[in-house]
This record gives sequence, structure tokens and C-alpha cells, in this order.
Amino acid sequence: MFIDIACAQLKKHQQNACGDYFLSQRIPEAGRLLAVLSDGLGSGIKASILAKMTATMLLRSLEKDIEIQKAAEILLHSLPVCKVRGISYATFSVIDCDEDGQVSIVEEGNPDFLLIRSGKHRPVEYQEIVSAARPERKLKTYQFQAELGDRLIFCSDGVTQAGMGDNPAYPRGFGKDGLLDKLAECLSAEQSLPSSALAKIIAQNAADIEPRGLPKDDISACVVYFRNPREALLFTGPPYAQEKDTYYAIIFDEFAGKKAICGGTTANIISRELDRPVSTLPEPPSGSLPPISAMSGVDLITEGILTLTRALEYLEKDKLAEKDAAGHLVDFILQTDILRIMLGAKVNQAHYDPALPIEIEIRRNIVKKIAAVLTAKYFKKVEIQYI
Amino acid sequence: MFVEVEICLGTTCFVLGASALQELQLPEKLRRQTKISYVRCLNVCKNADKFSKAPYARIDGEIVAEISAEKLAQILEQKIKGEKNEAN
Repeated sequence: MFIDIACAQLKKHQQNACGDYFLSQRIPEAGRLLAVLSDGLGSGIKASILAKMTATMLLRSLEKDIEIQKAAEILLHSLPVCKVRGISYATFSVIDCDEDGQVSIVEEGNPDFLLIRSGKHRPVEYQEIVSAARPERKLKTYQFQAELGDRLIFCSDGVTQAGMGDNPAYPRGFGKDGLLDKLAECLSAEQSLPSSALAKIIAQNAADIEPRGLPKDDISACVVYFRNPREALLFTGPPYAQEKDTYYAIIFDEFAGKKAICGGTTANIISRELDRPVSTLPEPPSGSLPPISAMSGVDLITEGILTLTRALEYLEKDKLAEKDAAGHLVDFILQTDILRIMLGAKVNQAHYDPALPIEIEIRRNIVKKIAAVLTAKYFKKVEIQYI
Repeated sequence: MFVEVEICLGTTCFVLGASALQELQLPEKLRRQTKISYVRCLNVCKNADKFSKAPYARIDGEIVAEISAEKLAQILEQKIKGEKNEAN
């Protein structure tokens, strides 16, 4: 199973920093995913620091297989104490799961997470552990087996308490029931809604029921979705050994998922080997990037180095709504969970003419950078095959 | 008769000037007798020793190096004039 995870956050009105913090990390070799959602005491920078410290320390502890209870105790002794309230506090939800569906969750102070299975809310049994240092703080621990299609919804109290005291429709806040109704509505309309879309809907919905849509607290909604992975293949660069062109073109053609080609020469090679015409689309010129092309059986064809370089920039700077060829490439990549890249190692000497702008980099380097940002920031799995 | 012009928009050609040719405005008299298209890559730059320098275009099947709006207009004028002379 693939674990699709996303978090959407909105700041408390008139604050510069979000006092909730979300952190997640994949451990690809173990097929494992770790994530922490923390809500710091108060709001603004102070809350943000508490939440960031909590989330970071817990994630690092999990990564090093330190027992969660011990990690929580260390944390309780480490956080800076608030001058006003005389306490240090950041609630948290910790998720540790793998692609086989083994899920382990620890919560402290955050609203209980929700398991949605076959469109319905299923309560999950938990155990309570009392902190030795702070008996008022209790950890809830859950262990269960997730099934294909399961969704886990985590949120900060900014979601469940939204509208409280201000919105006659929700006198006690949006609450668990309001959230469950909203989830049922969204998931019956679109069963396979991506986590990013669902997280955004939940966060925005919580903000919308606040007076004038201005959140009274930081809002965070995190969604974990166990589903079949979507795979895509990107072919870029001519293969090093020309005699293998046919072989790789056939492998490309037989791939079952979505397919893209980045590179004019690469597209010409595949067109020649598969005997399938490729045409440049008569788009209005974008000026700064070569246009996209089309070939039957291929979802996207763009120029190589320039487009990849620009796509990397978009991914790094969160420019995800651009309409040029690199924007199309970013769309293509982000719609997939596992991106396989066939990276041709043949170098075009003309690209290294000193007359060319300095930003023309070696294809291999750009692709490696794209793979790194996709893994770290967009939680994608990327596999590169050098050919 | 049309003069067929294919302008290469491969990486090398694009950065060395072909990007500006995407919005090429030819004089009316040339435009009427020219058919311009853009291609992904003419696969020429890797043989630069043979073909001089990017950006490249293919005009009626013949590779032309260092193409620019002015150079293209010049070539087209000569070609169109030549065709007219032949017709006369």
C-alpha cells in the first residue's frame, strides 16, 4: 500500500507564525512513514517554537527507535517554560506506520484521531500511559492494522473548537461530529480524494465557520490515506549505448502507468524506435521555455534541461500553478506516488559550449536534485535508472 | 509555392536565440509565401563541427546555422525572388 499523507494549516488571525507544527519523514528502505503534529501552548512565535521543538524531538527519537514513552518524558523536561503561565506545553500526535498497514499512534492532548474505513468512522481501542514526571499528562497509544482505503484524520483543536461560542450552528464548536459529517460529505462525493485536497477542505471548513472566516486559533488538519500507489515513468536523455535505444523504447512503451519524456532528442529517439509520429503542439509561445509536444501513448513531452531546471525551481519554491511546459511537468510529477526515471547518460557536447548560459547543468545533477526535493518535500518515492 | 521553414527549439538552439524566433513577425510579402513551423530538435547541434553554430533552422530541407530574424528574412527574400525569376 502507498501512504498518502498531507497536512493543511492556517494561522490564527493576526499572528505571524503558526503555533502548530507538522513534520513527516519517510524511511524508504523500511517502507515506513513517521509524522508528528504538535500544537504549542498559546499562539504566535512562542507556540511555534514549542511545537517545532516537540515535533522535531519526537521525530528524531522515533527515527532512532527510542521508545515513545521515554521520548515524551525527555521532551517534558526539555521544553522552555512559559513565563506567563509557568508551564511548558505542546500537545502532539505521533504516527508511525508502514506500507504493510502496521500503524502505531501516540497522542497527548490533541483531539483523538479518526479512523475512516469504508466511508464510516471506526473507533480504535487504546491504552493510557501516565507520565511519571507529570501525572496530569496522559499518553494514549493505539496499535492496529490498517486496510486498503483507510484514512486517518488528525487535527489540532483549532479544527474541533472552530466556531465555538460564535457560530449558532456549532454552539460547542465544529467538534468531532461536525468533522465526521464533513468527511462523509467529501468522501461520498469523491471516494479517492487525495490527502492534500481533503486536508485543505477540513482546514478551510474550520476557518469558514469562525466569525468572518478569521481563525481564533491555529488550524491544522493532517490526513493519512492508505491506497494503491500511482506510478509514473519519466524518460529523459538519450541512452548511453545507442544500440540499446530500441530496447529502452520498448520498456518505456510497455510501462503501465503514466508516461512523460523530457528532451527533444529523447522524444525523437522514441518516435523513431516506436515508429510513432511526434508533433509540437501549436501553443502560443511562452517565451522562456520551449513548447510541449504530443505522441500517442505518451502523456507529456517537453524539452529537457531547461524544462527540468525550471520544474526544479517550481518544486523548490512551491510554484505549483504555472502554465508553461515546466508547470505541466510539475503537475504530471505531483499526480504520482512513485516516479520512475529512466535517465539517459549520453551527453550532448553542444550543451557545454561556453557560449551557453551558465544555468545549463548536467542532466544527471538536475534529476538528482528533483528526486531529492520530491522525496523530502513532497513525500514521493523516486527511483532513478541510469541507462 | 511556399518556402518551408522549420525552426529548432531544442535546448541549445533555444538558449542561443531561437526563443526569440517564437514570436517572429515577418514582413507581409514574405509571410504570404512562407510556412513556418517549430520542431523539438533538428539533432544538428551535436554535429556542430559540420554545421557551424546554433540556433539552427531547416529551410526547404537545408540546414542553416546561426539563424536570426534578419538572416531568415534575407534568405526568404532571395528564395522568393529566385522563384519569381525562374517563373518569368
